[in-house]
Amino acid sequence: MTTAFSSPQNSPAPAPVIELAGVRKAFAVPGSEPLTILDIPSFRVAAGELVALEGQSGSGKSTLLNVISGIMRPDAGRVTIGGIDIMKLSEPQRDRLRADRIGLVFQQFNLLPGFTALENVLVAMAFGSRPTDRGRAETLLQAVGLGERLHHKPAALSIGQQQRVAVARALANRPRVLLADEPTASIDPAHQQQVIDLLQTTCRTEGVALLVVTHAPDVASQFPVRYRLEDFNLAAAAHAPAPGVQS
Amino acid sequence: MSLLGIAWRNIRQRALTSSLTALSMALGVALVVTTLVTGGVVKQAFESGAGLGYNMIVGAKGSPLQLVLNSVYLISKPIENISWDTYTAFLPAAERADGTDGIWAASTQTAVPICMGDYYRGHRVVGTNAAYFDRLSRGDGQPFAFSSGENFRDDDRYAAVIGSQVADTLDIAVGDAIAPTHGADDGKVHDPFRVVGILARTDTPVDRGVFVNMEGFYLQDGHAKPVAAAPADEGTENEGADEAAAAAPGDGRLPYSQREVTAILLETAALPGLPAELTAMGLRNAINEGRDAQAALPIAEIRVLLDLFVTPLELLFLLVTTLVVIVSSIGILVSMVGSALERSRDVAIMRALGARRRVVLATVLIEAILLAAVGGGCGWLLGHGVVGLIGPWIATNAGVTAGFLSFTPAEALLVPFLIVLAILAALLPAVAAYRTDVARWLG
Repeated sequence: MTTAFSSPQNSPAPAPVIELAGVRKAFAVPGSEPLTILDIPSFRVAAGELVALEGQSGSGKSTLLNVISGIMRPDAGRVTIGGIDIMKLSEPQRDRLRADRIGLVFQQFNLLPGFTALENVLVAMAFGSRPTDRGRAETLLQAVGLGERLHHKPAALSIGQQQRVAVARALANRPRVLLADEPTASIDPAHQQQVIDLLQTTCRTEGVALLVVTHAPDVASQFPVRYRLEDFNLAAAAHAPAPGVQS
Repeated sequence: MSLLGIAWRNIRQRALTSSLTALSMALGVALVVTTLVTGGVVKQAFESGAGLGYNMIVGAKGSPLQLVLNSVYLISKPIENISWDTYTAFLPAAERADGTDGIWAASTQTAVPICMGDYYRGHRVVGTNAAYFDRLSRGDGQPFAFSSGENFRDDDRYAAVIGSQVADTLDIAVGDAIAPTHGADDGKVHDPFRVVGILARTDTPVDRGVFVNMEGFYLQDGHAKPVAAAPADEGTENEGADEAAAAAPGDGRLPYSQREVTAILLETAALPGLPAELTAMGLRNAINEGRDAQAALPIAEIRVLLDLFVTPLELLFLLVTTLVVIVSSIGILVSMVGSALERSRDVAIMRALGARRRVVLATVLIEAILLAAVGGGCGWLLGHGVVGLIGPWIATNAGVTAGFLSFTPAEALLVPFLIVLAILAALLPAVAAYRTDVARWLG
């Protein structure tokens, strides 16, 4: 069962940048029935919207992000990014779409350890359609406060700095949407607020829709649009939004 | 950032493993290059047959190979001596005491006598005449040059010319006196000879030779054939007997009847109406059919040596070094598989960032190509460096020139071959990278 935690306003919603319809995903379990991880009749995120999706460990949050980003194919349903049905794309096309339109921030940051902060951003650009823009990469890193750390490798950066590199990298190719998987889970409480502020500020500045999945209610509570993912089902959240914060 | 840049950073990330892999390949390639170049140079030099300034050696009956090794390469022991008359049989009338052409004179362009058996501090002493340096040539076909001094004159009996290596090792300069010893380094000490010339480096066995005027050589103890042992006059030796009679003991030179030579270095001429090869073959057969001497063709003898020993050894060495290269390639495979396992997460990150499967596949293959190119290139340079270092040793001991820039066509295939091997070795890890499950590694 899914509970709405918070919802968008009732005003006419802008065109969705993420739209899921009838998405189902189950995993085979040896000697047992397939285990349903996702069953989402409908879910939308509008352009520029800042959305938090709260759910406990194992609730299917990461699977949902993998499905939205095209890393994983759902068993059924439709997933569109910016109006493009990614289920109709070949894998290379989905890769290109992900490189061009989706930014990803991981719980473990997942920076490439052999590359400097600047190179980590440039690598992301190398996979997109646009030409590599070193100037933009430097600007992004300066915007997240790492102008003096461009040529430092991840091991030489603090946890907070690594997460900021990850944010800059996610925005490298001017994505339409930024997906963040537990972006504060690996950092101490003192820095969590900085990361949330950074994500929200940069996404507002860049006009990027932000979808953060988290298990922490205090993190989700800082987003204007919030959903709760329970029992692998987001249906209620999508269809029964309620104004304000509910418990 | 290009794929090349990404691949290069991946290599740098695993600097130690990458360096060891490249080093392993470099050593393999260096071994192969050294083998190919030295083997190729030796073969080429011997097979070309050019540059010695003579094409036949006449010496005592016995092993023709030993005759060649002793006369050309200044190694092995002399067989025996041959008579002075045998030598003069190749001389024209102007160079003979009796004023008539020797019986082989028409087939001879140049005949240079050499007398061996003495040593100077570990180096062979060769008694000869000025024609050795005036009419013969160094290994590359160029005339002999002197780094200091000049060739000795035939009338300067106690003059000597020394090879560059002898001068360097023994620190001998023009004007110094050298006293050869008889038969061995600890043999009886002969009269001193004055060094009048030091040869420029030739990268041939000449570099380690001590060449003295044979007129002085003959005057040393034990070098004159006892008169009683002189052969009876008959046939061609009648002419020699006449010359012996013509030798004036008064001028202090050893009478011809008491002279012998160890070998004669011959450049044959073409008889009228006959190709040079046929003249040489005819002369060789005629000499070999006689009782007094044998004629050996240095190139043919060396080819026999190559076929019997050098080529099989070279093939064996090449086989071993090829195995080394294959083992190096397996090293690449192990390294790349290890790296692929280490980097599965990195590959998953790149895939999550939008890298297509073929991009990560290409990245792994480019890494292998870079490693092979760098390792192969370094190995190629190292191999040539080794050849450059051992070149003088090869030159002195084998009599052929080999240097850093010596090149054999087979080398051109070596690095491409290594790259193909590296690609084959990297295919497995590349496919593993290609098939990386992003969700599994990032989940």
